Amino acid sequence: MIELSELQDAAQKAFPADTLAPARDASWQLIAEMGWLMIDLPEDLGGLGLGRDATTMLHVEMGRVLSRAPLATALITQRALALSETLADKAGWLERTSTGTFVTINYDRRRITLDGRTVSGTLPAVPDADMASHVLLCTDGLIALVPLDAASVTVRERPLWDETRRLFDVTLADHAIDPALVVAEGAAADAIAATLREDMLLGIAADAIGGAAAALDATVDYLKTRRQFDRPLALFQALKHRCADLKTRIVAADALLWARAADPAATSVQFGALKALACEVFRFTTQEMIQLHGGIGLTEEHSAHLFMKRAMLDFWLAGGADVLNEAAGRAALAA
Amino acid sequence: MDDTASLETLRADVRAWLAANAPHGWREAEQTHAEFAASQKAWFLKLVEGGFAIPHWPAEWPGGGRSLAEQKVIYEELARADTPRLLLSFVSTYHAASTFFECATPEQKAHYLPRILQGEIWCQGFSEPNAGSDLAALKTRAVREVRDGREVYVVSGQKIWSTMAQYADQCLLLVRTSSEGAKQAGITFLLMDMKSKGVDVRPINQIQGDQEYCEMFLDEVEVPVENRVGEEGKGWAVAQATLSSERGLTLMELAYRMRGAGGRIAELIRKAGKENDPGTLAEFGAIMTRVESACAIADRFIENRLKGEERVGDASIVKLTYSRVLQDFALLGLRLGGLDEQVRAPIVFGDLNTGNWMADYMNSYAWTIAGGSDEVQRNIIAERMLEMGREPKNWVL
Ligand SMILES: Cc1cc2nc3c(=O)[nH]c(=O)nc-3n(C[C@H](O)[C@H](O)[C@H](O)COP(=O)(O)OP(=O)(O)OC[C@H]3O[C@@H](n4cnc5c(N)ncnc54)[C@H](O)[C@@H]3O)c2cc1C
Repeated sequence: MIELSELQDAAQKAFPADTLAPARDASWQLIAEMGWLMIDLPEDLGGLGLGRDATTMLHVEMGRVLSRAPLATALITQRALALSETLADKAGWLERTSTGTFVTINYDRRRITLDGRTVSGTLPAVPDADMASHVLLCTDGLIALVPLDAASVTVRERPLWDETRRLFDVTLADHAIDPALVVAEGAAADAIAATLREDMLLGIAADAIGGAAAALDATVDYLKTRRQFDRPLALFQALKHRCADLKTRIVAADALLWARAADPAATSVQFGALKALACEVFRFTTQEMIQLHGGIGLTEEHSAHLFMKRAMLDFWLAGGADVLNEAAGRAALAA
Repeated sequence: MDDTASLETLRADVRAWLAANAPHGWREAEQTHAEFAASQKAWFLKLVEGGFAIPHWPAEWPGGGRSLAEQKVIYEELARADTPRLLLSFVSTYHAASTFFECATPEQKAHYLPRILQGEIWCQGFSEPNAGSDLAALKTRAVREVRDGREVYVVSGQKIWSTMAQYADQCLLLVRTSSEGAKQAGITFLLMDMKSKGVDVRPINQIQGDQEYCEMFLDEVEVPVENRVGEEGKGWAVAQATLSSERGLTLMELAYRMRGAGGRIAELIRKAGKENDPGTLAEFGAIMTRVESACAIADRFIENRLKGEERVGDASIVKLTYSRVLQDFALLGLRLGGLDEQVRAPIVFGDLNTGNWMADYMNSYAWTIAGGSDEVQRNIIAERMLEMGREPKNWVL
């Protein structure tokens, strides 16, 4: 059994904090070599079965370095395949996805119409479709793999402010689902979709916490070295308090992150609320990061904007705070 | 005092002139930064011609000699007609001009002021990599020498964040002529021709894709001694005249423009189908009320100035109110716009409240950082207005 701290050490060695936003394809290869694509897969299916603690740890570390590689997406789609009871060649799929074949997913479920097994519409916000062999189409009552090289499929990148991630629109024109590629249908599909959504929310929350922690570290380092008025800026109490507030918010959100990751009974509403909290903390940390850097934080050559733009995208992926908090409010009211 | 009737006549005149002359479709036409600069220049010259470019200059200048109340009317109408803000000529007509009016020799005034109206562009070379909020720490050296029979300052050093320097013909430059005594004491104010040998200007890439400001490397640049404003070593006082050149009117104009942009948020609300969502409406109402209060505090500031009753810290309150609302306004736009706003969309160069909410958010930092950051304004309000005392000067780690 691998200790979490060992996993963290390995992650920090492979992805050192001083190399922000390392190249995607090289990172992906490294991720596959490190065996992280097997980490979540149950042992009886050939994986390491380390569970949510381990994946959360990795996502925090990937958030810290603003990783471009779609690890979270890969683990989510792989989990769907692992849970499938209908997929032909399931063992082959698990083998391939744990060694580097990438299957992506639509982070947004709107805009799809289903007519029996024929699908039309645009899947918005599909990460890294350019490096994926398939997209895991996830819609009400159906989860299925769609090959991205099919004639009925077109893929178009939507350039983002966030330079560390890539999202695509995947458009399906009367795409007939291959029966061998159906992952789940009906109630089974909805149950798997709910699990995937939890993983998605937890993964983004972890990414946000890692990003926020790194953004604060960089800001504090800067304030300690930047001198104005014959002293380090860090000596101004007004700025100390700003950083102390950020630290407090990050640590408190981090505590909730780990509490939820460890709780098998956590609900998807709770994961959503966690995601909303973590992303707001990340967003606000980057807002302060730029302000506290002064002019230099507004330049492309400085990394502050990479954090800010990633935080903004995290905020919206898999649902914005308003919707997630509203659900949490309803749940609290009903409790 | 201006009577209401004459102000209303002026308003009607400006409105009529704008109806005939205000540019349309300028946002779409400015696809490149160079096009932006060209369109800015053309609009400035048009305004000069119309007599509305320099209402704040003295009366001997065509279009000058306007009272503060009249200036306010003109800015209100410019904002109302959605004309481009004068970004390229801003430093020329405010910072450079007020430096000349307050501190320059008759020869300097006669030489430089008419050229501003012909479109000569000025930039401000004050900040340095290690002299931002602490401007007096600037290190760019100027040594007085005789070269080719001329007395010159030989200037070497680095300036940064110089707005529009890539288009500038002239530069308001702060240099260090002595390291003795207080930091402020060794500073001298020079006027530097940007075409001088040894001036190397490099635009800085900003995070929203604009290139509003530049780095400036100065390598043994020769500036004639006659181009000094004020005495040697007395440049700090001249710089204060430069920095206090526009007091309130810009912020009033900007606050009014933000009020006009409230419609963009309304548009988002409708697009999202949230016209009946109480939470969204409450937030919209709250931000628009803050915008109103930013307009009101700018108005009051100007009224107090008209009466000669400006107090220490008043300007800081106006600026801090505006900058905080501006940033939150963009953040509300982002919240209502959702995931779609994260897709990179074209920007309007140098503009605020454009409805490209990510760009608007990034641009809001120009107002929370430049021209005395929010933190510096808070220090002024706390230390000078609330008289809470200054932080000790002699701290060390
Ligand atoms: C859009 C834009 C346009 C500009 N145009 C020009 C121009 O044309 N010409 C020119 O010369 N300069 C220009 N500037 C520079 C501007 O004046 C400086 O950026 C500003 O003075 C802040 O300095 P800095 O960036 O070095 O930040 P720093 O001074 O290093 O500040 C970093 C952080 O520390 C905070 N801080 C600093 N001192 C204190 C304190 N005593 N107490 C509490 N907090 C403090 C700041 O508020 C900030 O949050 C421009 C800047 C911007 C952003």
